[in-house]
Amino acid sequence: MPRTRSGVAALAVICLATLGAAPALAQSGDPLGVGRKMLAEDNPGELWIEKGKALFYQKRGPKNTSLEQCDFGMGPGRLEGAAARLPRYFTDVDRVQDLETRLISCMVRLQGFSEADVVKRAISPGGSSGSDVEALALYITSRSNGMKVNVQLSHQKEYDSYKAGEYLFFRRSGQTDFSCTQCHGEANKRIRLQDLVHMTSKQGAEEVASTWPAYRGAHYVVRTMQWRLTDCFWQMRLPDMKYGSDMSIALTLYLNYQGNGALIRVPGFKR
Amino acid sequence: MRKLWFKWVALGAPVLIAAGCATYPDQAATRQIAEKMVSEGFNASPVHAKRLVQDRSQQICSKIAGAQLTQDEAAEVVRLARGSIKYPASGKLVGDWKRGDQLAHNGAGDRILRGKLEKRKENGALCQNCHALAPGEINVGNVGPSLTGYGLQRGNSEAIAKLTYERIYNAWAYTPCSNMPRLGATGHLTPEQITHMVAYLLNPASPINKK
Ligand code: HEC
Ligand code: HEC
Repeated sequence: MPRTRSGVAALAVICLATLGAAPALAQSGDPLGVGRKMLAEDNPGELWIEKGKALFYQKRGPKNTSLEQCDFGMGPGRLEGAAARLPRYFTDVDRVQDLETRLISCMVRLQGFSEADVVKRAISPGGSSGSDVEALALYITSRSNGMKVNVQLSHQKEYDSYKAGEYLFFRRSGQTDFSCTQCHGEANKRIRLQDLVHMTSKQGAEEVASTWPAYRGAHYVVRTMQWRLTDCFWQMRLPDMKYGSDMSIALTLYLNYQGNGALIRVPGFKR
Repeated sequence: MRKLWFKWVALGAPVLIAAGCATYPDQAATRQIAEKMVSEGFNASPVHAKRLVQDRSQQICSKIAGAQLTQDEAAEVVRLARGSIKYPASGKLVGDWKRGDQLAHNGAGDRILRGKLEKRKENGALCQNCHALAPGEINVGNVGPSLTGYGLQRGNSEAIAKLTYERIYNAWAYTPCSNMPRLGATGHLTPEQITHMVAYLLNPASPINKK
């Protein structure tokens, strides 16, 4: 018996050692990327923070409850630094969730909203006053403002999601033969006049990981990462991305992990 | 004691494995996990879902993080590309440059929004998204090289027309796995549309060849 026990202990030591040796891909880096300065002042997205805050504390939904008991990974109701660690694995749902899927889990479980309803409304029409999910996602992320993106890989499903995200970033398909790299794999590239973030660089990944949700000038609303991915898949002429799909979360986990260390500053400000 | 030990193993070991033993999945496992995500990641009708399936060339051209193609892989992509090229029924490779000009500046067609296919008379050719076109045009991308003066530099011999046609029909016949879409081979453009693109690039009267 003792032999087995020490066997397990030895295994644990080996595993921890392996963990330590895992490539520390995203550590150092310039905390203030290009375009960050624009974000500080006169960003209409600021208004959504207050709206999101009100929605968070209000008793809402069929169960007439607030979201104060929602656990974003730091314990119920603890928002400081929570968004900086997302996506991450959650035991209660046995899956890796990003901010938006986690939020919707809580709206369904705590407040009794219908998941299909919330998802249907999550991405608001351009020029509207925005969706609850958009405002809430911004408020929750804003509570990590000034903190460093700190996505961690520890659970097996986080490793799986990270590697899948990487694979998906380079996976070409469809009639335009696009993967993400055709548009986001080199520096100083544009589609027409739209500047493309170079996401295989540290600086570009930091930009992505630290500025969403963002105010989108062209739409006059705050947009989330799920929206951004949906829009890129649309440009790629692929079918409608499923909101909150494991695929979207894997891509987000991959990008945010590369962007570790960036200082969160939301709302970002995008064209 | 014995019981306690079992409890410890039953509760502790999975935690240890989850917390301490997690590692990157190998390539085959990653592929399986990610492909499952793709198949479940879209709201797609069966017809549209076909766009998610990779062909052989796309599989080869999806190297992670700039990994190099092997010589065999490059040769296979070129071979498949060469085999894909179809010529217009008329046999004429040079069409109408004015139509080519319009198409080059048209980025629409065949996108899918809320299950609905964007219906157009024809697909735009997307060139403006990636290439500089006529001199002085500002609203152009730079994912691909500038095409300004393309015909001036190369002339408009039959050989150049054929090369240009083939490069637009399937860019990978010349540059395997390049960022240029295989616009003819994937069906985004018809052979006839491509003849208009050739005319647009080569005709001395085309805006692209003005100084
Ligand atoms: C055909 C080109 C194209 C492809 C392919 C593409 N994108 Fe984009 N992407 C864009 C454009 C254009 C923008 C918006 C630029 C702007 O409006 O400022 C953008 C913006 C983004 C942003 C926001 C960057 C920021 O912080 O401002 C993210 C994140 C993103 N894309 C991720 C992806 C991912 C992941 C994929 C692959 C699944 C992908 N994109 C594929 C064109 C593309
Ligand atoms: C998504 C980006 C993209 C689109 C859309 C695109 N191209 Fe390209 N194109 C490229 C890239 C990248 C290259 C360089 C690699 C290569 O030659 O394949 C290129 C190369 C070319 C070349 C060879 C250039 C040379 O100097 O020999 C021609 C000709 C060309 N493109 C024409 C077109 C035309 C015409 C269209 C529209 C019908 C078009 N391209 C659409 C990205 C694009």
